[in-house]
Amino acid sequence: MNEILRVEELSKSYKKGKKAVDSLSFSVHEGEIFALIGPNGAGKTTTIRMIATLITPTSGDAFVDGHSIIREADKVRSAITYLPDEAGAYKTMKGIDYLYFMAGLFCKTSEETERCVSRAVKMCGLGDRLEERINGYSRGMIRKLLLSRAVMTRPKLAILDEATSGLDVINALDIRKTIKQLSKEEGMSFLLSSHNMLEIEYVSDRVGIMNRGNLMVTGSVEELKSRYSAANLEEVFERVVNSDEIR
Amino acid sequence: MKFGNILKKELRELLTVQTILSMLVVFFVYAFMGKAMGGAINDAVTSGESMTVINLDGSDFTARMLDSLPDYGFTPQISELESENYFTEMERLGTESMIVIPAGFGESAQKGGGAEVEVYTLMNKGGFGSALTGSHAFSGVYAIESYVSDSFQNDVLGLSEEEKAYLSEPVVTAEYVCANGRTENISAESLMSVMMSQSILAPAAVFFLLMMAAQMLMTAISTEKIDKTLETLLSAPVSRLTVLCAKMTAALAVALLNAGFMIGGMMIYMSSMMSSAMSDISASGEAGEAITAAEAAASLGLTLTAGETAVYGLMIFLSIAIGLAISLILGAMATDIKSVQTLLTPVMMLTMVPFLVTVLTDINALPTAFRVILYLIPFTHTYTAMTNLVFGNTGLVWAGVAYQLLFFAVCMYLAVKVFTSDLLFTMSFSVNSPKKKSKSTRNKGLQTEDREQ
Repeated sequence: MNEILRVEELSKSYKKGKKAVDSLSFSVHEGEIFALIGPNGAGKTTTIRMIATLITPTSGDAFVDGHSIIREADKVRSAITYLPDEAGAYKTMKGIDYLYFMAGLFCKTSEETERCVSRAVKMCGLGDRLEERINGYSRGMIRKLLLSRAVMTRPKLAILDEATSGLDVINALDIRKTIKQLSKEEGMSFLLSSHNMLEIEYVSDRVGIMNRGNLMVTGSVEELKSRYSAANLEEVFERVVNSDEIR
Repeated sequence: MKFGNILKKELRELLTVQTILSMLVVFFVYAFMGKAMGGAINDAVTSGESMTVINLDGSDFTARMLDSLPDYGFTPQISELESENYFTEMERLGTESMIVIPAGFGESAQKGGGAEVEVYTLMNKGGFGSALTGSHAFSGVYAIESYVSDSFQNDVLGLSEEEKAYLSEPVVTAEYVCANGRTENISAESLMSVMMSQSILAPAAVFFLLMMAAQMLMTAISTEKIDKTLETLLSAPVSRLTVLCAKMTAALAVALLNAGFMIGGMMIYMSSMMSSAMSDISASGEAGEAITAAEAAASLGLTLTAGETAVYGLMIFLSIAIGLAISLILGAMATDIKSVQTLLTPVMMLTMVPFLVTVLTDINALPTAFRVILYLIPFTHTYTAMTNLVFGNTGLVWAGVAYQLLFFAVCMYLAVKVFTSDLLFTMSFSVNSPKKKSKSTRNKGLQTEDREQ
């Protein structure tokens, strides 16, 4: 399978001598769902922001579809979409206008824009509510709108930070199903970050556990459970974080 | 295309029904206030032509005088007192001021000395109207003075008409204003309306423009940062400079529109006020004025030439650009709505303090230390530019332009640096206690809502 994301010795320091991310290396393949998990302050969001070209690495590099996040940031941005944790949308806009606005930033022709928007309209399932201002949307509706926006352009890599945070069970299940479907049927790659171990266990092909800026371990959920003799991913997570040992 | 797309989005965000309504409300409030105030001044001036007069003097002289006062432009409303409490009497008579002619007035007037009238003013309201009430009576007093003077000249001194005319205006005042090395036959009061627009309206326009633009851009940037729509936007294939330019252009355009409405309303307000005040001044007579105030101002070089207007426009543009650059930097630091309000305070102070000083006093007459501090604020140069340009202080103006260009370059460099670097997402200013945050980030819980770095 093609390598869509390759992260090589990626590091980020905010303050002198204190590394938020320390020499991180991993890869995500085409059609793969890779999840980064870790406690608060582990460096997940910093890693994701570097890959999304929002902040620059102190050292190392990452390549999206072969393009460097440092030297070819504009090409990287054309190949990815990013959905931040607890992100909002422009409240004074109607849902449909938001989709057109975002599609306009990615698409080069109006035909392409129309195709993207109609895909998002179908995917988000908001129907007539798209003609209303986002101001009146529930949290679940906003998240569905944002997720459909994130995948409407068929990016090589969709980066989703806490894709289902704050959603009820039904909405969260809907979004997980959509992610799996897009990965299996359309070969879209995902880089996820979540605190919800059940979600990660259900949706991910491979998992990377981070702690204090380091990537402690990577592997499929089944591999990790057997390696740590754990009943579930939560137990794996607890043992990895408590042992603080890189494997 | 992407610039246009983002600009359209920014304009749509800034130009909501509420903002358009607030612009219209401000315009109509000013316009209405101007008309109402102008009307109040006119009413005050015209009401002086007729007033309550209490005659406590039973002499024939006073009776003849009261009959003749309409010939002197004053119609007395003769009334009787029912008590000696003037407050309740004025309330009963429904008058705000009245003239009382005491007993013995006629005798004193005919003798040629010591004649006295009493003027009573009811003070039972605040605001601008109360200041005008007391002046109502003086047109009546002026008429009484004229009658007594004429009677004395006719009956006691036996003067001819020529002699009386001479005594009524023994000295004719011809007023001149000297400015920029030239002199014009016009009174300083007449020039007031023209100068008011330069010394108050122009700085006020710049002040409002600056405030609106700064506030809008700061809110736009901070809202996007707080809602995390900025992260989504900047991870899309669009350059950060394009986003920056679109935001600044939209803030400038809406600020111009907003200031246009406000200044339009203010102009109506000022012109209504000034035309009322000026009609009062002209009624009292300015001897020998041959040209209008506007013509005199132009002749004296007190209006801007095309070149000077261009320089002034450049300074306004530079001030707004500086304000926008500062707002962008501060807006990027905001972490919540409270911090936006706190961060707006220094911008408000920097724009408001020099504005108030400019309007209330002449900066160039202040002690050197104050002057230097004020001129270190780049906006001061724009506030004072109009006056400095018309009075030929061009050196000060050009120094101001140079300083503003330098200040703008530094601010813009910093703004671009912030917007195109990690600082946009890493620097923050919060009014909340930092202790709370550091404590929460130590938790290793799986489902906490705390943000990680």
